[in-house]
Amino acid sequence: MTSQRFRFACDTGGTFTDLLVESDQGLRMYKAHTVAGDPAKGVLDALTKAAIDHGLELRALLEAGELFVHGTTHAINAIVMGRTAKTALLATQGHTDVLVLREGGRTDPFDHTVPYPDPYVPRALTFGVPERIDASGAILTKLDEARVVEIAKELVARGVEAVAIAFLWSIVNPTHELRVAELLHKHAPGVAITCSHALNPTLREYRRTSAAAIDASLKPLMTRYLGGIEERLRDEGFSGRVLVLTSQGGAMAASALAAAPIHAINSGPSLAPVAGRYHAAREGDGARNVVVADTGGTTYDVSLVRDGFIPWTRETWIGAPYRGHMTGFPSVDVKSVGAGGGSIAWVDSGGVLHVGPQSAGANPGPACYGKGGTKPTVTDASVVLGHLDPDYFLGGSVTLDAAAARAAIQNEVASKLGLSIEEAANAILDLVTENMVQAIVDITVNQGVDASDALLIGGGGAAGLNSVAIARRLGCATVLFPETGAALSASGALISDLTAEFRRPCFTATDRFDFDEVMTSFAALAAEAHAYEEAQKGATLGATITFAVEARYPNQVWDLEVPLEHARFNGPADVETLRQAFHAAHRQVFAIDDPNSAVELVALVARVRCALRDRDLPRLGNAGGRDKLAARKAWFQSRGWCETPVLRIEDLVPGQNRAGPAIVETPFTTIVIDPGARFRATQSGGLAVDPAPARVSVAA
Amino acid sequence: MTKQLDGAKLAILANRFEGVARKMANTLLRTGRSGVLNRARDFSCCIVTADCDLLAAADALPIHVLSGPDLMARAMREFHPDLKRGDAYLHNSPYHGCSHAADHTILVPVFDEAGKHRFTVLAKAHQADIGNSVPTTYHGAARDVYEEGALIFPAVQVERDFKSNDDIVRMCRLRIRIPDQWWGDYLAMMGAARIGERELEALGRDVGWDQLDAFAAQWFDYAERRADEAIRALPAGRTQATSTHDPFPGTPAHGIPITSIVTVDPAAGRIEVDLTQNPDCLPSGLNLSESCARTAALIGVFNSIDPTVPKNAGSFRRIDVKLRENCIAGIPVHPTSCSVATTNVADRVANATQRAIAELADGHGMAEVGAVIPAASGVVSGVDPRTGAGFVNQVFLGFTGGAARAGNDAWLTTAHVGNGGMCFQDSIELAELYQPILVQERALLPDTEGAGQWRGAHSVRVEFGPIGAPIDVGYVSDGGINGPKGARGGLSGNVAQQHKRKRDGTLEELPACAMIRVEPGETIVSVSCGGGGYGAPTARDRDRVRKDVEEGWVSKSRAREIYGYDV
Repeated sequence: MTSQRFRFACDTGGTFTDLLVESDQGLRMYKAHTVAGDPAKGVLDALTKAAIDHGLELRALLEAGELFVHGTTHAINAIVMGRTAKTALLATQGHTDVLVLREGGRTDPFDHTVPYPDPYVPRALTFGVPERIDASGAILTKLDEARVVEIAKELVARGVEAVAIAFLWSIVNPTHELRVAELLHKHAPGVAITCSHALNPTLREYRRTSAAAIDASLKPLMTRYLGGIEERLRDEGFSGRVLVLTSQGGAMAASALAAAPIHAINSGPSLAPVAGRYHAAREGDGARNVVVADTGGTTYDVSLVRDGFIPWTRETWIGAPYRGHMTGFPSVDVKSVGAGGGSIAWVDSGGVLHVGPQSAGANPGPACYGKGGTKPTVTDASVVLGHLDPDYFLGGSVTLDAAAARAAIQNEVASKLGLSIEEAANAILDLVTENMVQAIVDITVNQGVDASDALLIGGGGAAGLNSVAIARRLGCATVLFPETGAALSASGALISDLTAEFRRPCFTATDRFDFDEVMTSFAALAAEAHAYEEAQKGATLGATITFAVEARYPNQVWDLEVPLEHARFNGPADVETLRQAFHAAHRQVFAIDDPNSAVELVALVARVRCALRDRDLPRLGNAGGRDKLAARKAWFQSRGWCETPVLRIEDLVPGQNRAGPAIVETPFTTIVIDPGARFRATQSGGLAVDPAPARVSVAA
Repeated sequence: MTKQLDGAKLAILANRFEGVARKMANTLLRTGRSGVLNRARDFSCCIVTADCDLLAAADALPIHVLSGPDLMARAMREFHPDLKRGDAYLHNSPYHGCSHAADHTILVPVFDEAGKHRFTVLAKAHQADIGNSVPTTYHGAARDVYEEGALIFPAVQVERDFKSNDDIVRMCRLRIRIPDQWWGDYLAMMGAARIGERELEALGRDVGWDQLDAFAAQWFDYAERRADEAIRALPAGRTQATSTHDPFPGTPAHGIPITSIVTVDPAAGRIEVDLTQNPDCLPSGLNLSESCARTAALIGVFNSIDPTVPKNAGSFRRIDVKLRENCIAGIPVHPTSCSVATTNVADRVANATQRAIAELADGHGMAEVGAVIPAASGVVSGVDPRTGAGFVNQVFLGFTGGAARAGNDAWLTTAHVGNGGMCFQDSIELAELYQPILVQERALLPDTEGAGQWRGAHSVRVEFGPIGAPIDVGYVSDGGINGPKGARGGLSGNVAQQHKRKRDGTLEELPACAMIRVEPGETIVSVSCGGGGYGAPTARDRDRVRKDVEEGWVSKSRAREIYGYDV
């Protein structure tokens, strides 16, 4: 047995499983292929690579492990593939079509080829319960318990495994939901239950119902999955702590997650901004705002850090907006678009180029993978331009077929547009860059961040191919590629805190402030937060509790969260402070405010963060490139083919600026720096690129 | 000199213009104050060229933008030949290009560094109130614009040097109900337009204004090529269909038959939609504005062809819409009222057009989308007993209406054909929080779909009433007699109905177009139209029929009798 202690952070993505292993000797990164159908195998494969690298048996490595933090796509995959539990919905009678009608909205009013989405729970498994509570919490129709018992029996008879209970106004008065849960426990024992008011105390019945239905449907399988992965780690000798990443950008004990598995929907991507905030602060850039981009094979995920805070949203869709299902659950705001290395380029009948939304995926993958793909992708474009070395893709673990890439781009794009093959490849990169820029613009507009004064963080294995161009287009002064950027979410996992959130609806306003109600609710929230903190004592390094209110102007429907210095409202001065803080928040996000207006409160929030570490991440030990590096020919729009130096990070003197063109390679990623850009290694092993002051015109 | 842009650069610039329009729309959605704007998303943002041609619109309502922004921008240029940076114009005149008086529109002309007018950005939003003679923005019974009562702004300057003309603001505040709500929405629209202006200025500096002009010209040519190709895929022919609006106050007793005569000339790549054979304008709020007449015809065509054809001034060149003056589906003359121009008769125009195209050959066109505006999507007003404050707002408690097209069942929540499903539907809880009402039921009704090989939407029934104090509900519910027709053997969808449930529980039938006082203890029971089916029901895929029965959409007996399948 080794005397070292290890901490593992693992993020299972669609294509790769990223693993970071931290020990006294530093940090090391590994990538294994994700195994569809058995995600635990991808995890163990990555761990096996780590064991070999450390000269240890897998068992010895795991026995020396003290922490395993895990990001998983298991929950979202189960939903996308329709492999969740057989789930029923109990809703207020007269309102059982809540999941069918949703909130309306559509992406393209003329595209009649898109089918109207099926409800998350079939109508055949949706039951109306005679009961009704109004906005004030008054019971208008008493709960018909006999009917509930009948329904319970039918659920059992029909083999239902999970039930969501979601009644109108249960957030104001949860009596009926609680009673129905009791009755189901008794009359349908063993069925997993989620009550909407407890899981997601928010206004808008569709969002609360959708969250409850999704959560319930995940319970049986996530309980099995989390138990299974923990068991396999234990079988191999691991005796440390197992945590799972949440959509809220923190970590939870696996057992706590099994009780509310909706937290795992965006388990990995939500950690990207946590990592981005850390890396931005560490590099001492001083930027107030950070745009964090994570480029994968099929998706491009964008998230933000605004003044040190990571903005949240309730409007997270599983699948496309209006076509998929809204989780309605507060989560780190991550915008995903279908753009990545595998996005397919094609020319329409009118002679206009498109990139995506179709993706070549992992199979057959880009033409250059040589697995039978003939459609040109973004990766093929980078091969054609010499930006990617066919012999050193992913550190040489894959050899690319440059001839296939050339043929695909020549046939499908260059010939059709009347461009040279290099111009065609460059056009593909320009267009995918624009698609990614628009994704960044969308999220920054909605969150009130000006991208041009933000630091851009390029994360993900394919980020280096066009992130300099993205930064230039956005007007960002700098794009930073952190040392662990190729496994951004996993690096976020290593620095994540244990988090919990407590929330209570509270309807009042600054011009009729209900001091009693607000103070009573905050006292209750504080008690819940302290109890959580107490339960974690010993296992964590101290906790911080923060308070916030969700508020809006009268009649607005989009709430803003306003952080509070303290949860005390002793008199009108405190209320006025809150009102002014709301005006400022509204100005920041929406550029306007209404200074004479009162402010309505909707909910009160308490958050607990328990730190799991108190030191910086160590340097990455296996980031060095191959030994023999030579300059190679690469193509850039401003120069055409030119001899381009190929560098390793360790060849660069930290802080010393160099001018592009250059290509910086690590075993995990390739960063392309075009002529005009300036770049330097940072003190902590990252690469910072200033994408040239000159504007680059999209039209020649 | 500019040169020909290649297909990649066209794509990039198209994305950037759409990005600007989307940024405007996102801003408007998140800052609006009235429910019709921020809960239902009844607004649109777009960009037109200096020549007033529609270039880009993002997430917009079809009836708001296809034609109208072009006409409004032209009116602005004509009335204000000396446009300057910092100007902004308020426009809602249906006689000068706006859809109807309820759609307040802010136009901001955008200039290059040399002061040359290059583009105009528009933010258009349906208002909660516009100062009509009655508290509704849909005054179906208005005999003329005077009885309608709205303040009309024919491209009136409201900002100079980025500063507001407070005279206009004061006029609005004295006339429009709940002035703070209007002012909040006004600020949101102005904010969106100014963001569009700022973004376009940056784009012009970045790319070069002449390049943007070159792009616009080539992008229109591209859209025209795509339209040409799509029309060439249609069979040749001349066909017509009639879709009849129910009788309302001020209309003939048999209602208003709306006929669309469509001529498809694939060899020339052109479609003509002739609306000139329709009745003259009526002493009613149902008359179309020119914007809505033209747009409704375009919607019918675009619903019937390849959905990927860009909708802009380039593709519009291939579609000739024939209109005449003083025609209910044509060009109204002041003081004709166009209060309800975006929905009722406009929907009949679009429906007749797409159904006419369906009759040309199998696989083309579309069935009829259900008519509106049922009481559950009406304008409610009163005094909130919880606060003592007045309120007026359009609610969106339940709509469906989607029509079938070859290859796909309906998009259930289409709302109406001019909206295309872009509207949001109210949350029951938000509706009950913001208005003193209780919604007893919102439920889809089985067996109400337009049956067909591809089926139309089901009706939704909504029952709601006031709490603690009376409310007024204004609505203009077409489709109670003339339901949404199917196409190519598809059947009609269910008709609309509205009743008042009195305190003793009995139901009283309500008129189709009315302003109803509802007392506490009474409720409105509103049933939306379904949507038309496409193709014979007996040709429907058996698995689909089985699933419809399992899911409670279609009863077993209806499956047997209509779909010819014994489940």
